[in-house]
Amino acid sequence: MGNRPVEPNRVQRDARIAGLRDFQTPSLEAVERRRRQLWVRTASALAAVAVIAVALTTLPSGATPTGTNRALVVVLAIVGSFFLWAFHKQAALERLTRSLTDERVLTAALTNRLHEVSLLLDAGKRMSAHLELDQVLDSILRNACELLDATGGSVMLVEQTDLVTVCALGRDAAVDQRMRLGEGVAGYVALRREPVLIDGQVDPELFPGLVLRDPYVESSMSTPLVHRAELQGVLNVNAPIGRSFTEYDLRALSVFAEQASIAIANARLYEAERAHVAALLDLRKRREVG
Amino acid sequence: MGFKPRVLIAEDDPDTLVILRINLTAAGMETMLAGDGRTALARIEADRPDAVVLDVLLPGIDGWQVLEELHTKGNAVPVVMCSAKDNIYDLQRARELGAVAYLTKPFDIDRLVEVMTEVVGMRQAQTSEQAATDIEGIDLA
Repeated sequence: MGNRPVEPNRVQRDARIAGLRDFQTPSLEAVERRRRQLWVRTASALAAVAVIAVALTTLPSGATPTGTNRALVVVLAIVGSFFLWAFHKQAALERLTRSLTDERVLTAALTNRLHEVSLLLDAGKRMSAHLELDQVLDSILRNACELLDATGGSVMLVEQTDLVTVCALGRDAAVDQRMRLGEGVAGYVALRREPVLIDGQVDPELFPGLVLRDPYVESSMSTPLVHRAELQGVLNVNAPIGRSFTEYDLRALSVFAEQASIAIANARLYEAERAHVAALLDLRKRREVG
Repeated sequence: MGFKPRVLIAEDDPDTLVILRINLTAAGMETMLAGDGRTALARIEADRPDAVVLDVLLPGIDGWQVLEELHTKGNAVPVVMCSAKDNIYDLQRARELGAVAYLTKPFDIDRLVEVMTEVVGMRQAQTSEQAATDIEGIDLA
């Protein structure tokens, strides 16, 4: 068997060696305090040794040189032992610092993940609060921008072989714009059904039919909206000037898009049901009249 | 006492962090953790690890930005990139920025340990040389 991977006892053992007995799990601050304490003690010990050494070498003439040497040897032995002790404690403190930093990293990672999940859940709840498609689309875009600190973006829905911008933030002129599937970044995303992160200049060869926007957006993300293997559209968001989206943001947008797709599908289902009920009511009315 | 290589694991997912720590520690490496890009850069600077397992998806500054920063600073610590993407652009980008290996997720943990063992072994052998050169024999795909 190799080394033990996770060692809660090692932290306690190192804490004991370092003189932090009162702690079940010491804090980094306590470790730092202890380190300072150790330095102060070492410095005091050095000063004391220096004083003793000076006193021994300037002993009154009555003392024999052998006695002085013996005393010096004893002092040196004490000093050596003290430094060994201090080194041992210092090494334990070093190990403690590393272990506690790792624990903090793990806690922070867990907290970040919880925060991310809670933001996504909140956004999902807000989207699900609407049933009308227009409101759902508006909510999707606003929540996506809020989640990712984006300045604007758009939602495009599939209409036969086209993508139509049905909702936009930051560029109202973009609403109702059409592009063919496979054209530009959104078309590429729709066709391949994979999210894309744009950072800096876009390669026109990679995205045929690309129309450069004015003003040019330095960093943006596009993700497909897919529900039960059916492509519904594309969600695009733009970063503010001076900020670049990262792969991490792209993953968050992709997770968000899954919930957004469900919200769109539900809104469409609701619309279809409402139309169905309206048709039935209309039929009943006609029968009654007839 | 033999050489115990120090490996920094930069990964945002707490489960993956723990799994990598367990496996790399069991393989005889001393591990350090970073949950975001800034912490990764700070720990590389302060603790000088022998190798880095760098996930692309990191909050704040991502794995690419960390790699770029190391490349710009001329820091020769060998970096093994981990990403969910397996396209040729990312692979090329990792190579250009000096990563010694590129593993796609979900990766076989034994494969990662094998790669890390090879990387730290080479690092040990070339402590005074440039360590960020491409390592032959490591599958970059």
